[in-house]
Amino acid sequence: MELRMDTPVAKPGLRRKTRWYFWGLLFLVPEIVIFFIFLWVPIAKGISYSFYNVDFVDGNAFVGWQNYADVLGNPDFYTAIRNTLVYMGLALLIGFWVPIAMAIAVSELKWFKGFARIVGYLPSIIPAIVLYGMWQWFYDPVGPINSFLNFVGLPEFDFYSKEHAMFSLIILETWQNFGSATLIYVAGLAAVPRELYEASELDGAGVWARIRYVTLPSLKGLILLLLVLQLIATSQAFQSQLLMFGGGPDNATLTYLLLTTREAFTFFNFGKASAMGVLMFIVLVVFSVATLKLRKGGDEA
Amino acid sequence: MKTAQDRAIMSRYDFRKPGVKVVYAFMVLCIILISLSMLYPFANTFMNSLKSTEEFFAFPAPFFPSHWLWGNYKESLDYLNIALHFKNTVLIFAGNTFISLTFLGLAAFSLAHLRVPAKKWITLYFMSTLLIPANSYLIPNFLNLKGLGLLNSFWAFWLPAGANAFYLLLLKNFFDGIHKELFESARIDGASEFRSFLSIAVPLSAPILVTLVLLGFSTTWNDFYWSSLVMQEDKLPLAAAIYTKIIYPGSTINWNVRFAILSMTLLPPLIVFLFFQRYIISGLSLGAVKG
Repeated sequence: MELRMDTPVAKPGLRRKTRWYFWGLLFLVPEIVIFFIFLWVPIAKGISYSFYNVDFVDGNAFVGWQNYADVLGNPDFYTAIRNTLVYMGLALLIGFWVPIAMAIAVSELKWFKGFARIVGYLPSIIPAIVLYGMWQWFYDPVGPINSFLNFVGLPEFDFYSKEHAMFSLIILETWQNFGSATLIYVAGLAAVPRELYEASELDGAGVWARIRYVTLPSLKGLILLLLVLQLIATSQAFQSQLLMFGGGPDNATLTYLLLTTREAFTFFNFGKASAMGVLMFIVLVVFSVATLKLRKGGDEA
Repeated sequence: MKTAQDRAIMSRYDFRKPGVKVVYAFMVLCIILISLSMLYPFANTFMNSLKSTEEFFAFPAPFFPSHWLWGNYKESLDYLNIALHFKNTVLIFAGNTFISLTFLGLAAFSLAHLRVPAKKWITLYFMSTLLIPANSYLIPNFLNLKGLGLLNSFWAFWLPAGANAFYLLLLKNFFDGIHKELFESARIDGASEFRSFLSIAVPLSAPILVTLVLLGFSTTWNDFYWSSLVMQEDKLPLAAAIYTKIIYPGSTINWNVRFAILSMTLLPPLIVFLFFQRYIISGLSLGAVKG
């Protein structure tokens, strides 16, 4: 406990109390104000704007639930939700296991371990805009990938077609993001006690059995955590969709957040966009709280 | 002196089995292929930035340009005033770092070591924002800045940079680890709390501060969408300027010139990474607590 030499109990009073808390509050006040103006006000305003027709010229007009009705009545809304779910699912299916496999493989390397660990992280250092600029060319009908396919006598692959667009994005995103998850898993693997491998080997467990029954169970907590983080991140994806495909072709890559920003900054329906933000806010906060509860419950069990 | 520490999943004994050997060889091959697929795009981008347009589209395309046309770089400056936008990025980064670390540092110090009334509630006031995804209030955030008259001003980045509960959490966790006795003795020696913060807490937390500065660097350098909304024309940071002027979907600017710009943009973060690798990677595992 702190040394209570001049406790406010001895001489109660506002001045005494202010002096007691002076430094603590002084240091907190700037952040309390900043958090209020730049976080809590926008969050509150988002809820209130969702009931208004936001108009910079004529002023805002209260419209009740109209924005929500408009959002729910828009067929693009359902397309966007479906696309976002498909994108999240594909990202799990194609991308989620790659860093786990890569981390295990890299940890087994005898040479160039440090290099192999870092090389996958390279795209995470480079600004996303540069990567998208590069991939616009790689996916081009006459770009390097199609030239290569042509060279080995395979048919051309149209990365920009409606059917392939989502798949093309997942490949790009997996390439771009798996390095950071790999490094986290590598750190997790380093914490697995070597004695466990030694003991299971003496018990006759083969390499696969050791991975299956020692390595993966030790990583379980980390895998679950990164799973939740990936779901939260992919549910908010829109930047690569915007830059590589502009949401097209024919809305095939229109994600929820991309539709939200389009409503706001292309059609200037800020009220509708705010309503979409509120819906997303509810879903994601419920999801976060639920996973937090689950994780807490899991720890106690 | 072979100890248990030298092994990973596989032991030397495993390598004597032919089946394991084959799988291991396949695995090494996969890693080599992945490494190549990581490096090739960057090498390709750089080489392509030096080619002529004819050579760029030649089939099969040569990897190296026959003449190194540095003129592409000069031409790229006609499309984009790189120095100006670079300066904007640096300005945003410097201001963000200063504001966020100063004020978040003070607040974290206060929560960790000073007397604060209703500390629990104040902590909750800050930390509950961690659960709210930033994208869900993207639109009202923009309208809020517009209402405050901050659009197209650097303050639109600098001030909100202070509203970062994640940094606050990391700083507070770090300060919690510093022994209270250090500050007690400073108090007895007559140092003000501000003095203790500046000359005890800050020097002791150098590693976390470096990590946060680097995190901020990559965030600022990366962000193109939000800054393209907030800033206009001459005030755009580099990534946003590239987005609005160079590689928007359907851009018609020559590929080799585009790649010259991309090559120049990827250089600074690459250099920073090579110098501060250790800190950046430790920051990464910090990121995992954010869930």
